[in-house]
Amino acid sequence: MVTSSAPPRPAPRVSRSVVIGLSIGAIAVLVFVLSPLLGSVSVPPRDVFQILLHQLSGGALFAQPCAGTPVSPRLCGAYEVIVWQLYLPEILLALIVGAALGISGGALQGVFRNPLADPFLLGISSGGTIGAAIIYVYQFEVARADLFLPLFAFLGSVTTGLVILGIARGRFSSVETLLLAGVALANLLSAILSLVLLYNPVGSEQVTFWLLGGLGLASWTIDGIAFGAIVVLATLLSLHGRELNLIQLGNDIAQSAGVDARRVRLRLILLASMATAIAVAFTGIIGFVGLVSPHIVRRLVGSDYRIVLPGAAVVGAIFLLGARDVSYLVFPGSLLPIGIFTAFAGVPFFLYLLYRQRQSSTMGLP
Amino acid sequence: MRAIADPPALRCAGLTVRFGERTALNDVSLTVRPGEFVALAGPNGSGKTTLLRAVLGFLVPDSGWTELFGRPTTDLSVLARAREVAWVPQSESPRDSVRLYDYVLYGRFPYHRALDAETAEDHAIARRTLHEVGLADRAEDGILSLSGGERQRAVLARALAQTTPLLLLDEPTSHLDIAHQLDLFTRVRALSRERTVAVVAAIHDLNLAARFAERIVVLSRGRIVADGPPASVLSVDLLARVWGVAADLRQDPRSGIPYLIPHHLLTDPTPVPGAREGGPVHVVGGGGTASPFLRRFTEAGYLVSTGILPLLDTDAETAEALSLPTAIEAPFAPLGDAARERNRTLLNEARAVVVAPFPVGPSNLANLEDLKPFVSRVPVFLAVPPTIAGRDFTGGKAASVYAELLAGGAEEVVGVEGALRALGRREGGVSATDTTAPAIATSSPER
Repeated sequence: MVTSSAPPRPAPRVSRSVVIGLSIGAIAVLVFVLSPLLGSVSVPPRDVFQILLHQLSGGALFAQPCAGTPVSPRLCGAYEVIVWQLYLPEILLALIVGAALGISGGALQGVFRNPLADPFLLGISSGGTIGAAIIYVYQFEVARADLFLPLFAFLGSVTTGLVILGIARGRFSSVETLLLAGVALANLLSAILSLVLLYNPVGSEQVTFWLLGGLGLASWTIDGIAFGAIVVLATLLSLHGRELNLIQLGNDIAQSAGVDARRVRLRLILLASMATAIAVAFTGIIGFVGLVSPHIVRRLVGSDYRIVLPGAAVVGAIFLLGARDVSYLVFPGSLLPIGIFTAFAGVPFFLYLLYRQRQSSTMGLP
Repeated sequence: MRAIADPPALRCAGLTVRFGERTALNDVSLTVRPGEFVALAGPNGSGKTTLLRAVLGFLVPDSGWTELFGRPTTDLSVLARAREVAWVPQSESPRDSVRLYDYVLYGRFPYHRALDAETAEDHAIARRTLHEVGLADRAEDGILSLSGGERQRAVLARALAQTTPLLLLDEPTSHLDIAHQLDLFTRVRALSRERTVAVVAAIHDLNLAARFAERIVVLSRGRIVADGPPASVLSVDLLARVWGVAADLRQDPRSGIPYLIPHHLLTDPTPVPGAREGGPVHVVGGGGTASPFLRRFTEAGYLVSTGILPLLDTDAETAEALSLPTAIEAPFAPLGDAARERNRTLLNEARAVVVAPFPVGPSNLANLEDLKPFVSRVPVFLAVPPTIAGRDFTGGKAASVYAELLAGGAEEVVGVEGALRALGRREGGVSATDTTAPAIATSSPER
């Protein structure tokens, strides 16, 4: 292998970012087109698009959604429900949750200055599962379980985030102790969860949903709640790009340059916990999206957090939707927990990233 | 532009910082004028860094207060403080290869709001600072591709981009070679003068501090023990008191700046046990041949005398630098009676004589001849190589005196270390270099 001895210069920025932008766009388009065609029931593609256009145009286009296709009106009605009430909310939820996990991971990796930080590693996700499990342990009878359960999962995640915050507020807490405390907390929480499930076999099936993660709860209501919350949280998180850039140089240096590192750290942990909590509340634990997405963005466009944060949201959204599509492609009609697929896709990719990073650092490439 | 009447750039009073039991700063009061270049010197752990960190607000003092340009630091937000004071740490290691230009723009943070883009002024300042630190042509490069010296200048550029009237540097050159040290401080001093930026720099190296700072503040165990212009602060006494190091004070003839030549720790035990007891070791030489013996025996803890040496001879200069009692003769003259008398006095006091392998000519033959009466009284060591045959310029007279000395009990030794070992052996002491040989001899049969 021939390596030049001249100092490495970053590739010309414009052409590189154009190529990257186009390829991400192409993948996004592919995923978006593919997604409504895939699901637990196989619906003919032409009907899918006609139904979508019918609904999106408010009935102006394709007044008869299944016109021109060999589908009976009754079956068409069923298809309409499946595509519009089932697939589309599921697709949107995948996008919303993927974005939430991606941006949380990006923010946490920035705050902790550690590429391994993610909501799952810090126990924020496990906290949500415990929140949901509590419902079953005490066998609460609630009228609207579909909203009440996520609420408890949300509270569980946020509480975990607050505990990490409490540790972070300590006067002598370094980034390293904080990260280790989070890891310890995650282990404690999963131990508690195991205990809960052991003494409560009846509820364990429902709790397993949170444990493995899935899009099964998706509905327009849930999507609406999640979307509103994530738009706010992601916007607030994205405003901290400059601060995170400086924090990468160390808290002291950041502070000497005008960043109130401690306050920013607390604020970002809180916001990231809340974003993760939203995700966990509706889909359970979906691993690796938060870990991998910021890495992909950094590899593609560099380490400027003003780009990494929104970028991680975009990549996370596409990644999770892609994982949903792959799960239906591999096992048509199945309802496999999506967390399994993000792990299957994420782990090898992550190892590849680490391998590339190692290689580049030994070769002195940017 | 700030006038003299303006409030001081930095003022702290009664600053005390404790870390548990340890008092890192003890009642420190300091005032720095706008535009002043102050060096903070002191041994490791004397509180230099702690003082800088307290001023920067990284730690809260247990008592005392700090003002920046007349405003108490407790009244300043982190952001407002970053517009008054910038910091250059000892080293800064970014993990990601940020483009140098973007990295310098980070310094403009205190002037941004969250959503603002960089203004034309920000870009102008970033370009200007890169130019000032001499990295204008590396603007597009990743920061990790810079060399150590360049990276430290990049850190300086980032701090300068904050356009603060006060700059704190914490041993910014401790990882740099001499050229880069000079380069960095030259740039800092030039900028300080051009823009009336006050500089407070923790600097390990007193000589470096004296070269660049108008004023040196010396900290020791958390207290200020000296404060003033380099000429009044730098002293042999200061180095002895604060660092426990023996030194000579000289003056750079071109700049008039004082500098210290440190030579050893005052707490050093003598390397050879018992070396201080007993009289001096008298070294005979000339033309530079005696110098290694003078140095090595002094270093080993022996008192050393020497003679007869011509004035301005290399050996005479060495003897003077080491403050050794020396018998001196005028250059190019035969050894006169006064010098020989002085030399005999020194020989009388000596515990041993070491003869360096010096070239013997008619003018200095007396140096050998005068040893004859002492051969029977004290150990005399004749160092080789070269042997006497190769440096006898007296037509054989020197060689015969040499033979006479050997016959009278003098011993031939090889080199400086040989002489040192021979002396230790003769005196029954165990010299540091000697201990290894018997240890190996006794332990090897057991293996």
